Amino acid sequence: MRVTADREVCVGSGQCELLAPDVFEVDDDGAVRVLQEHPDAAAAVRDAVSQCPTGALSLAE
Amino acid sequence: MTIAAVPPADAEPADVDMSTVDLSDRDWWTTPPGYRHAAFDRLRRERPFAFFAEPDLPGIPAGPGYHAVTRYAHLEAISSQPAVFCSGRGAVSMQDVPAELHEFYGSLISMDDPRHARLRRIVSKTFTPRMLERTLDSVRAVVDDVLARARATAAASDGAIDVVADIAAPIPLRVICDMMGVPEQDRPSVLANSNVILSGGDPELIENDDPLTAFLTAGMEMAALMERLAAERLAEPRDDLTTALVTTEVDGEQLSHQEIASFFILLLVAGNETTRNAISQGLLALSEHPDQWARWAADPALDRTGVEEVVRWVSPVTWMRRTATQDGEIGGHRFTAGEKFLLFYAAANRDPEVFADPQRFDVGRDPNPHVGFGSKGPHFCLGAHLARRELQVTFRAVFDQLPDLEVTGPPDRLASSFVNGLKRLPARLGGER
Repeated sequence: MRVTADREVCVGSGQCELLAPDVFEVDDDGAVRVLQEHPDAAAAVRDAVSQCPTGALSLAE
Repeated sequence: MTIAAVPPADAEPADVDMSTVDLSDRDWWTTPPGYRHAAFDRLRRERPFAFFAEPDLPGIPAGPGYHAVTRYAHLEAISSQPAVFCSGRGAVSMQDVPAELHEFYGSLISMDDPRHARLRRIVSKTFTPRMLERTLDSVRAVVDDVLARARATAAASDGAIDVVADIAAPIPLRVICDMMGVPEQDRPSVLANSNVILSGGDPELIENDDPLTAFLTAGMEMAALMERLAAERLAEPRDDLTTALVTTEVDGEQLSHQEIASFFILLLVAGNETTRNAISQGLLALSEHPDQWARWAADPALDRTGVEEVVRWVSPVTWMRRTATQDGEIGGHRFTAGEKFLLFYAAANRDPEVFADPQRFDVGRDPNPHVGFGSKGPHFCLGAHLARRELQVTFRAVFDQLPDLEVTGPPDRLASSFVNGLKRLPARLGGER
């Protein structure tokens, strides 16, 4: 599983950081940074991707 | 239009006389929530894009009217297509914002991407779960101090307190003013101006029935405070949000005066009013459901779901507006460019297609995909994590420190369609619970 982020679309709402703090972080520019490109916590990451308000996150299996 | 008789709080949908339902009538919003939700049930079921005329406010011309979106699926579809349904023509008023108010109220909440996203990212880091973790102790200290003062107020007045003035208002006011760096002596005017700005025209808060002048005056006072603080922060930067607003460059440029003023006002007002009403109405809901009070108080593991249920149940912001940028069709409704849609979060949050037994207040509800902080899209509440934090700390502290809190009378409701607010909620401390 590989997760990617579109930082142009991201508004830094931090929903992903709440759900999977080991995988996502809103950085000093106010947009998401992926901390683990190939994360282990599959369920939490899927939640974060589906609940992202702006659809900035995507998953490839 | 006035309502002929006070409708029953426990109304069933079938009891509602739909000919009297006017979502633009601010008096309608002071009717009991049970009645309003019965009316929303009918609208959601029978007229999911019901059309309403805009209200007449002196000095603010009414536009063409709006559609009330009450189904969760429709609301999410509109919210998640910001290019088709924009915010830039006004998100927080039924009418388009008059030019003279734009300086103070044309903030990023009524702005579209890419400018919206660029401005928002200046402050988004401050509101993330990780950053807020660091402020947990200071939120706890504020809450403990406010509750101790409420206890002292009660002791001096035969047990009587006002949940709004003594608990719900001071907590978010102090937290957001700390984050913005607003000095102590300016905070009463921040509170008073916030109240005017989100009054919805409630005559108790608007002098001389002249909302345009009242909104202008409140905006000018807040902007004057911003200018003073901005000058201080430019000379001597600090680690606060106001410093970030005046020093950050976007696209290689400083924010304009108008952008800083409206951003400053947005953060203070939004940070104040929404959390206040979640606290006051959450405590009201718990007092009306004593089984839920006892269950949550006894189990700190329910702090997360309890707060989410309070936000769903109260829906502190009743609606936001979107305006169509092009012709199209949604849920069988054909629309043309320029049509306005009001997204009624309060109605979507009781949609039986999404929530099992939606009219039941259940502090353990899980999953709870409520839209109390907004739905999909770039305008999802910036302060959601801060609000969750404040609410979790506040309810737990009330359970522990004010277990004798007892609501003693009906609330005084704000006459506003936009903010689901309480002006007063009488209560007492020191009785038997």
